[in-house]
Amino acid sequence: MNFKMETITAENKPPIIELEGEVDVYTAPQLKQQMIGLLEQGATALVVDLTRVEYLDSTALGVLIGGLKRLRERDGDMVLVCPSPRIRRVFEITGLDKIFDIYNAQSDAMESMGKETG
Amino acid sequence: MAENECAACVELKFPCRPEYVGVARLAILGVASRMKFSYDEVEDVRLAVGEACTTSVEWAERNGKTDSQIILRSEIGQEKLVVDIFDQAGDRADDSRAGESEQESENLGALLITLLVDEVTVSPHDGGTHVRMVKYARQR
Repeated sequence: MNFKMETITAENKPPIIELEGEVDVYTAPQLKQQMIGLLEQGATALVVDLTRVEYLDSTALGVLIGGLKRLRERDGDMVLVCPSPRIRRVFEITGLDKIFDIYNAQSDAMESMGKETG
Repeated sequence: MAENECAACVELKFPCRPEYVGVARLAILGVASRMKFSYDEVEDVRLAVGEACTTSVEWAERNGKTDSQIILRSEIGQEKLVVDIFDQAGDRADDSRAGESEQESENLGALLITLLVDEVTVSPHDGGTHVRMVKYARQR
């Protein structure tokens, strides 16, 4: 299956989950497990980078919404990186672009998190 | 040509399991590319079919029907693409076994299908569900 996931962690910075390929009913559970793991380790901020994602369905959206909810329950936040108009369109037509903060570049996302977390 | 006559039909039968939804998407991508669809419209069909198959897979898991099959049938017409998806995933009456996240995803999936194709009908069929989606080729 065309799916890869890599998590980048650095001191005093929110973890970044970089996704590649197809995030769907088959692969989204891996993303869910990774997010749960980071939350259990105490993460309060998270960047999910969809730059190299070619396909994203409602299962993936459900996992992202679940992660955002859990983070906001602990006064945290999650932002997305999504320069691809095709993938961004899925957020737009479902209205989820109003719920998620979506950036075109990872650097912009990290900067926004820096401002929020102080 | 009569309205209901099928100019070309493509049919795919595959296991009702998560790892095969991508196969259905690949197949419908090829089929939709035969139509006078824009790039975005082809993507719409791919996503709508993926969502419909995903819903079938989730119900199959809930109802213990993961050994069942999905039939994806496409009718390529001059002016429209008709996609029929038949599953044998049991009835869709009791969603109490679905978690909050699963229900949210399913609601989003249903919303996406409605937004991405021109017509959609969902009806019970032979131990499962029949979803029919129609996408019209726009005059350009």
